[in-house]
Amino acid sequence: MARLIRTEKEVEGRYTEQWIVVEEDALDQWPAGPLEVVGRDATRTDGLERARGEARYTADIQLPGMLHAAVLRSPHARARLTSLDLAPALAAPGVRAALSPGEIEQLTREPGYMGAPVAAVAADTFREARAALELIDAGWEELEPLLDPDEAVARGSFVSDPSRYERGDLERGLAEADVVVEAEYRTQTVLHNSMESHQAVCAWEGDSLTVYISTQYIWGVRDDVADQLGLPPDKVRVVCNFMGGGFGSKNGPGDYTFIAAELARRTGRPVRCALTRREENLATGNRNATIQRLKVGARSDGTLTALGGDFVNAVGFRGWSPSTGGPMQMLYACDNVRIVEHGAKLNTPPNAAFRAPGFVEGTFGLECLMDELAAKLDVDPLELRRRNYAHSDLVDGRPFSSKNLAECYRRAEPHWERRKEVQARSEGSWKRGVGLASQVWYGGGGPPSYAWVRVGSDGHAAVITAMQDIGTGSRTAMAQIAAEELGLSVDRVEVSLGDSARGPFASISAGSSTIPSMGPAVRAAAADAASQIIEIAAQRYHLEERVLSLKSGHIVSADGGSWPLEEITGLLGDGQILGKGARGPNPAGMRTLTFGVQVAEVAVDVETGEVRVDRIAAIHDVGRVINPLGASSQVEGGIIQGIGHTLSEQRLIDPGTGRVLTQTLDAYKLPTIADVPEIVTELIDEPDAHLTNLGAKGLGEPPIIPTSAAIANAIRDATGADVRSLPISREEMLRALREARERERRAPVGAAAS
Amino acid sequence: MPEQLKVNGGAYQVDVPVGWTLAETLRDELGLTGTKIACGEGHCGACTVQLDGVPTLACITLVHTVSGREVTTIEGLRHHPLVDAFVRADALQCGFCTPGQIVSAAALVEASPRPSRDEIRHAMAGNLCRCGAYPKIEEAIEMVSRHSASEEAS
Amino acid sequence: MELLRAESAEAARAALGNGSVALAGGTELVPLLRDGIVRAERLVELRSAVPRGISDTGVGSASSSIVIGAGTSLAELEVDPQVPDALREACRLAASPQLRSAGTIGGNLLQATRCWYWRLEFPCYLHGGDRCHAREGVHSEHAIFGNERCASAHPSDPAAALVALGARLQTTHRELPLTDLYRLPTDDDRNVTALAPDELILELDVPSPQRSVYLKAMDRRRWAFPLVGVAAARFAEGSRLALAGVAPIPWALDGEGALDQATPLPGTAYKAEIARALVRRALASLQ
Repeated sequence: MARLIRTEKEVEGRYTEQWIVVEEDALDQWPAGPLEVVGRDATRTDGLERARGEARYTADIQLPGMLHAAVLRSPHARARLTSLDLAPALAAPGVRAALSPGEIEQLTREPGYMGAPVAAVAADTFREARAALELIDAGWEELEPLLDPDEAVARGSFVSDPSRYERGDLERGLAEADVVVEAEYRTQTVLHNSMESHQAVCAWEGDSLTVYISTQYIWGVRDDVADQLGLPPDKVRVVCNFMGGGFGSKNGPGDYTFIAAELARRTGRPVRCALTRREENLATGNRNATIQRLKVGARSDGTLTALGGDFVNAVGFRGWSPSTGGPMQMLYACDNVRIVEHGAKLNTPPNAAFRAPGFVEGTFGLECLMDELAAKLDVDPLELRRRNYAHSDLVDGRPFSSKNLAECYRRAEPHWERRKEVQARSEGSWKRGVGLASQVWYGGGGPPSYAWVRVGSDGHAAVITAMQDIGTGSRTAMAQIAAEELGLSVDRVEVSLGDSARGPFASISAGSSTIPSMGPAVRAAAADAASQIIEIAAQRYHLEERVLSLKSGHIVSADGGSWPLEEITGLLGDGQILGKGARGPNPAGMRTLTFGVQVAEVAVDVETGEVRVDRIAAIHDVGRVINPLGASSQVEGGIIQGIGHTLSEQRLIDPGTGRVLTQTLDAYKLPTIADVPEIVTELIDEPDAHLTNLGAKGLGEPPIIPTSAAIANAIRDATGADVRSLPISREEMLRALREARERERRAPVGAAAS
Repeated sequence: MPEQLKVNGGAYQVDVPVGWTLAETLRDELGLTGTKIACGEGHCGACTVQLDGVPTLACITLVHTVSGREVTTIEGLRHHPLVDAFVRADALQCGFCTPGQIVSAAALVEASPRPSRDEIRHAMAGNLCRCGAYPKIEEAIEMVSRHSASEEAS
Repeated sequence: MELLRAESAEAARAALGNGSVALAGGTELVPLLRDGIVRAERLVELRSAVPRGISDTGVGSASSSIVIGAGTSLAELEVDPQVPDALREACRLAASPQLRSAGTIGGNLLQATRCWYWRLEFPCYLHGGDRCHAREGVHSEHAIFGNERCASAHPSDPAAALVALGARLQTTHRELPLTDLYRLPTDDDRNVTALAPDELILELDVPSPQRSVYLKAMDRRRWAFPLVGVAAARFAEGSRLALAGVAPIPWALDGEGALDQATPLPGTAYKAEIARALVRRALASLQ
C-alpha cells in the first residue's frame, strides 16, 4: 500500500526533509551470509561487451547527420567580454550554427573562472568545429581574480553562509584536557578524470528530445533538461546504457547538454557535444581544496574532551560547501565540539561531488590529528580510537540502524600488529611504518526507486528499471538480487537499464546509494513476480501457496515435490508475469551510516622523499554484501584513487592569472598500475537488520575515505615527520622530514615529544 | 590523401586529410569504436592498438604513417583468452580503458608468455585506469599466463 | 598539410625548412601540431631516412663504443645488452611503454620542455616573451641550474645518460659532442638546441664505460618525467655526471661539489636535496 510520509533524504551527506510516497517494505530480510546467488562472487553480466569494445558508450553513439559541437571557453579566470564576432566561425568550412552568450543561459559574457563556456559552434566534424573556434574574435577586459581562500573568507566571498555546528562547550572541553593538540592541515584540488569525458548527444523528433549522455542520474538529467527547456518531462528521453566513469562529477546535465540541445534544435540535426580532456580538467568539477585548522583536547587516559575545527572549502566560482567537518561531528564520542565551515567563492572552476566529498578531506585532518594526539599521550592509536567509540549518533542522539566499527577494529588487529615487524625492516635511508585511520560516511540510500520484473514463458526473467551502471557493477548486483528471489541462476536474468523511456524512476548513482536504493526495489519486484508464479503453480498442482517456493530453477513444495519453472511459465504462452517493486522507507528515528578502518604500510626514503605504499588492509562495514568480487573491486578502486589523492594528484593554478596549469594527464598524475600496493579487503557482511528488505548499504565511497590519513599516519610512524598537506609530494615529504629533524635537535635527548 | 590500411587482417582504403590520426580513422571511418579516445594526446593509453604487434597510441599516430603495417584493434582480439580472463578476474569497472588494456596485455603475453609481476607493471604502466582495476588487471594477465604455462606442461 | 615519405637522409634534408617539419615517432610532434605550438605545411616522414639499430664499432676493447641510429626507439635501447646501463635504465624509466616504442632516440634528444607555461602558450621567455612565468608562478617541477632567464626543465632521461656517457652526434651537417647540441636560451635566440632547420641527427656514437648508472626521482613509479635524473659513467680517464629535469637543457655536472652552484627557486629547493642524494648514490655505485 502506498503511504505518505515526511522523511529525511540524504545524498552525499546533504539532508533535505520532504514528503514522500513510499510503499510498504513487506519482505523479511534474507538470512545473513552467502545465499544461493547473493553474497557469492559474480562476474559482470556485461563484462564481455565492455572487454570486447562492443559496449556502446555515449562517446560511441553515431546518429545519421550528426553534427559536432565545440565550445569556446574563457581563457581568463575573471573577465568581461568586450566584443565577440562569430561571423568568421560561421563562414568556416562545415560550420552549421553558432551560439553566443545570452542565447542560452549556460553561455556567459562575464566568466568567473577559466573554462567557463562563452560560445559554441556546430560543424560536420569535430575537427571543423574546433578549427572554427580559432576564428572567433573575442575581446576581453581582464579583471583581477580572487584566488586565495583565506582572503575570500576575510572578504566575505562565500558560495553560501558559513555553516556552524556546536555541541557542548569547546572552551570548557579544552580546559578539562590534559593535552591539547592544534594543527593546520591542507588538502589540494583533485580532478575526477573519468576516462569517458563529459558528453551528450541531443536529437529532436518533433517536440521530443532524446539525450544520450554519460551520466550518473538519468532522471535528474531528464527533469533538469525538461525544466530548463520548458518541456513536459516525458518529452525528454534520457539514455545511458554504458557509462565511462563519473565519481560524482556526472550528477547533472552540465553545460554540454544544453549546448547540444540548442544547436540540435537550430540545425534540425543531432548534435554531439563532447568535452576534450583539457576541458574535462577545467570545467567539469573537482574535489575542492581545503584548509583545516583543528584542535583536539584529551585527558591523559585518551578520553576526548574537545574537538574544534575551522574549515575553509575553496569551492570555486560556483558549487557547494561540502561537510568537511562531518567526520569531526560523527566519528568519535566527544561532548564538546565546535565546527565552522566556510565555502569560499573564488575565481576558480566550480567544485563537484567527488567520491565522499568533504569526508575524504575532513578524515585526513581528523585522523592525522588523532595520531598526533596519540603520540603526545603515548597511547596506541587503535586504542585511542576504541576509547572514544560512539555508540549512538552524536549529532541528534539517534541509535544507529547498525554499526560494526568495533568489529572492524577487531579485524584490523592482525594488520596493526605487523607494525613492529614492518618497522624492523627499515634499512638505510628507507624507513618503514604502519598507520591506520577510521571512516564514517552515509550510504543508506532511500526511496523512491522502482523496478519491474518480467518473467516469460521460457522461465527467464528481465529486471527493468531506468537506473544506470556507472561502472560499479550495479547491473550485475541487480541480476543477482532478482535471481536469488526467483530461484534462478544469474544467467537467466537480464537487466534492462539506462533508458528513461524503458523503465520506472530509479535512484541517482551517487552517495553510495545504488545498491541500498535500487536493490530493495528489485527484490520487491522479483518477490511480486515470484508470488504470482507460486499462485499459478498452486492452482496447477492443487497445493497451498504457502508450501511452495522457488529454488534452483524449480518450483519446490515443502513435501519434496519439485517441478521445473518452465512447466508453469510454459503455460503462459505469450503471457507474462509482471512484478512490480518499490524501495520502502528508511528506518524511522535511526541513523544509517557506513564504517570502516584501513591499515597502511609504507616505506619512505628519507633522503629523496620518495614514499612507497606497500600494503593496505581495508576493513569495512557496509551491511550485507551482494557480490564479494565486485565489492572488492570497489574497495581497490577507492583505495587507488585515495593513493593518487595522497601522493601524486594535484590541480595547479597560476597564482597570477588563475589559469589552470594541469590540464593534461602528463601534468596531472593519476596512479598507474606500478603505484598499486598489495590490497587486502575484508567486509563484515552483516546485514543491517533495520534497513530495507536487504540490509545492504553502499560501498562506492567508504573505501577512499580513510586512505590518505592511514598513509600519512604510517609515514609518521616510519619517520616521525608530520605530513599535514596533500599531496605528499617529494617537496612536502622532505619539508616534513626537515621539520622533524629540527624539532629533534631542539628537544633535549630523552625528553617526551610534548 | 588516400591510404591503404591493414586492420585485423582486412584491407581498407580510406581517404582522409593528412593530419588525421589512426584513432579517428578507425572510429569515424571504419566504425571500429572499440578503440577509445580518452585524452587524445598520448597520455592515457585508452586508444592503444597494435602496429605489427607493438602497442601503439592510435590517438597520436598519424594514419598516413602506418601504411604497410598491420593494425590490430580490440575487435581483432575479440576471442583472445585475455578477454575472458578480464571478465573472470573482474579486471574492469567502467570498461572505457579496457580495450586498450587488453591490447597492451595481449602484446605482453605474446612477447613474454609468463611475465613476472614487475614485467606486467612495467608493460602496463601506460594504460591508465581511473576506476582502479589495476590489481585485477594484473590478476587477469597472470591467469592467462598461468593457463598457457599449464598447457605447455601438459 | 601534406606528407612526404623521405627515402633517404639527403632527400629529407633537402625537403626540410620552409614550413616543412621532420616527423619521426611523432610522440612529441603530433600533439604540438594539434595545439598549434608547431605549425607545418608539410611533414617529412623520416622512418626510411634515418638509420635505425645498434651496432658495435667492433673494436671489442674497453675503449670501444657503440653506434646508435637516430631512428632507434627507446624500447629497443631499453632491452639491448650492448647499450650501457645508464642509457638502458634511462630509457626503461622514460615515458610509457607505448611512447617508448614509438619515440626515437633522435627525437627524444630534441623534445621540448614539459613546462606548463610553455605548453599552454603563455607568452613566456622561451616563446619569445620578456619573462619566465614559472619563476614567479608555479615552478615545482622546474630548474635549479641555468634558470635565470627561463626556469624550464629538460625532460629527457636518455639525454642526461648520453651526456654522462660522452656521446657524439653525427648529423646531416657535421659531427659534434652531444653537449654542443644544447644551449641555454638567450635574448637573441630562444632555442635550446643548436640544430639548423634542415639538419637531422643521424647517428649517436656512445663510448662504452667501465660502469654507468641512471637514477631517477619522479612523482609516480612509472610514466612520469624526471623531477631529478642523475646519470653517472666511469671511464678509465675519470667519471662524468649529468642531470635530467634540473635545467632548461641536460646538465653536465662537474662533480658532486658543483651542486653547490645550484640556484634553486623557492619551489625547487627540494630538487637540490634530491640531486645531492642521488649523485652520492650514483657515484657510490660506480665504485
